Amino acid sequence: MESTLDIFVKAIFSENMIFAYFLGMCSYLAVSKTVKTAVGLGAAVIFVLVVTVPVNYLLENYMLKAGALSWLGDEYANIDLSFLSFIMFIAVVASIVQLVEMLVEKFAPALYGALGIFLPLIAVNCSILGGALFMQERQYSTLLDATAFSLGSGIGWFIAIVAIAAIREKIRYSNVPAPLRGLGITFIITGLMGIAFMSFMGIKYGKDVKKEKAPTTMVGQINNDKN
Amino acid sequence: MALNKESNAYTFGFAIALVIVVGTILASLSLGLKDKQEKNGVVKKKMDILKAMLPMEEANKIDRSNAEENFNKYVDLKNALVLDMNGKPVEGNAFDIDIKKDYKNKTLKESDKKFPLFVAQKDGKKLYVIPIIGKGLWGPIWGNLCIGEDMRTVVGASFGHQGETPGLGAEITQQFFIDRWIGETILDENGDFTPFEIVKDGSGPKPQKVDGITGGTITSKGVEEMANRGLSVYATYFKSNMQ
Amino acid sequence: MSEIAIKSKAPREPLFSKKNKKLITDPLTDNNPVTIQVLGICSALAITVQVSQGVVMGLSVIFVTVMGNLLISLLRNVIPSKIRIIVQLVVAASLVIIVNEVLKAYLPDISEKLSVFVGLIITNCIIMGRFEAFAMANKPWPSVLDGFGNGLGYAGLLVLVAIFRELFGSGTLGGIPIFGNSLPGEESGLYAMGYANNNMMILPPMALVIVGCIIWVQRSRNKSLQESH
Repeated sequence: MESTLDIFVKAIFSENMIFAYFLGMCSYLAVSKTVKTAVGLGAAVIFVLVVTVPVNYLLENYMLKAGALSWLGDEYANIDLSFLSFIMFIAVVASIVQLVEMLVEKFAPALYGALGIFLPLIAVNCSILGGALFMQERQYSTLLDATAFSLGSGIGWFIAIVAIAAIREKIRYSNVPAPLRGLGITFIITGLMGIAFMSFMGIKYGKDVKKEKAPTTMVGQINNDKN
Repeated sequence: MALNKESNAYTFGFAIALVIVVGTILASLSLGLKDKQEKNGVVKKKMDILKAMLPMEEANKIDRSNAEENFNKYVDLKNALVLDMNGKPVEGNAFDIDIKKDYKNKTLKESDKKFPLFVAQKDGKKLYVIPIIGKGLWGPIWGNLCIGEDMRTVVGASFGHQGETPGLGAEITQQFFIDRWIGETILDENGDFTPFEIVKDGSGPKPQKVDGITGGTITSKGVEEMANRGLSVYATYFKSNMQ
Repeated sequence: MSEIAIKSKAPREPLFSKKNKKLITDPLTDNNPVTIQVLGICSALAITVQVSQGVVMGLSVIFVTVMGNLLISLLRNVIPSKIRIIVQLVVAASLVIIVNEVLKAYLPDISEKLSVFVGLIITNCIIMGRFEAFAMANKPWPSVLDGFGNGLGYAGLLVLVAIFRELFGSGTLGGIPIFGNSLPGEESGLYAMGYANNNMMILPPMALVIVGCIIWVQRSRNKSLQESH
């Protein structure tokens, strides 16, 4: 059983959407040429994830899951609609993105200026649907956990795209072999960043730390891992 | 009839027709395949139990096609027990308990959880198979521990994982790791529960200490936690039933 | 419309005319959806640890692109343009659900390993990209070929990456040991000589590095593909 904080931190670092699962790579590669656009897209992803995952969570738990319809009455308790989950999740994502776009345009024109052009891109961003599917797969037990997971994933994605955009801005001044320029080197750099992010693996948070009696145990473990 | 493709009526009509067609196809497909999918889950569970109780050569021969048959040969589900958190037998169907779901469910109280205990017969001897679940480095890990007739010695085990690091944590499924568990005791002479401890690789066999996997420390610790938490419930039951 | 499609099926030659052949071969090399068009990497790389997973994933994507392209192409004249994206999504999602249900029923072990990545085929940009760019504007048969070519280009790259990762990471191909037995204590073949598996290859980031290297090789051979920056 994981604490909410645990889920949140894990989603940012060791289970980073980009570096551990490659989700949202298409827009990650296409929109990471400058830091400014990267920040815009990253912010939009956080926003949409935080809105859609909780909605999909409610949908999953009160409509789709086996027995989820039992609140309607006992005769509905045996219905299992989980085979519809893909189509429902993607429909929810697409319509919420549309809705958010319209609302933002009407009520926050400044925000729309910053995020607007990225919102349609996001409907087919794998990290959004991925967020919903991971939420389903991992069976988070409360809405709070699901929200923490979505916020963490969004922040992780944001960090990844801003970091690669910054590197790509700098790398323009480097002498990269011609065939590697552009896409090739971006892939390799992302791979190296992924390896760096892997060192966040196995961090102990929350409850786990309390169980460890002396800090030396942690050191012992790290040394053991290096063997 | 001339259809105006851009009219709202046409758009609505198309959308409704699409939903009905797609819904019908998917619903019938899902109904048609459901039995097979559920059976896959059941067979998998039976395979895991068999793998824990059989020696390696026999366990390797178990696959999806013959799992059912072998399971019925050794295990009688009528003898299976359901325990509460204090190790007291309660009413229930042992095979239907989803310990994975219970483990993940934060809102379920510890006192409401149920623990299945499968009883098998092999070569005239009674074997007890205990399913356990916990978390490794990346995701869930699970397993089955098989306790011998004396109700205190581990005679077999099987472990599974979802996505532990291959070559490191994922090695818990390998025979060499399982061998380290066999022969350990879960109760001391007085019948009190003695927890396991995973120790650094290579420190040699010691009572109650199981060698971990080099580089797979967190997964090994996960197995330790899972085994101790899982067994503590059953230990009370074994203690009160030991001859 | 369908009449023409049937007609073009009857004689053998036009069926695989030069133009049609190109629809299949192009995506395999100079117009590869992954390395050139940069589409559909999302769901691809995490499952290339084993060749078997790569093959199943590749076949699933081929099924979805071919069937989806065919359906969209057949429906292209009746789909209202206002909701065409949603219709495309529904078609893609339904096909993916079919794949997922069938995998769960007949290949449960692989289905468990692929977990959410089967579902993520829906947002694989190749699918939506081909629906929108090709199937909406072309007849069924070329659309099928186009779907097949793009699916194959994607599957081919997946399997290629999976071969590297499984061979050097686990020393096996399709689960069959290539370099001998690596179990501690009973090493044989290369392992007995001190060879060790490169566990790094199994970790997710290496997939990216391998794709980077494949792009490198491809662009060194075909200079017209190189980018200035």
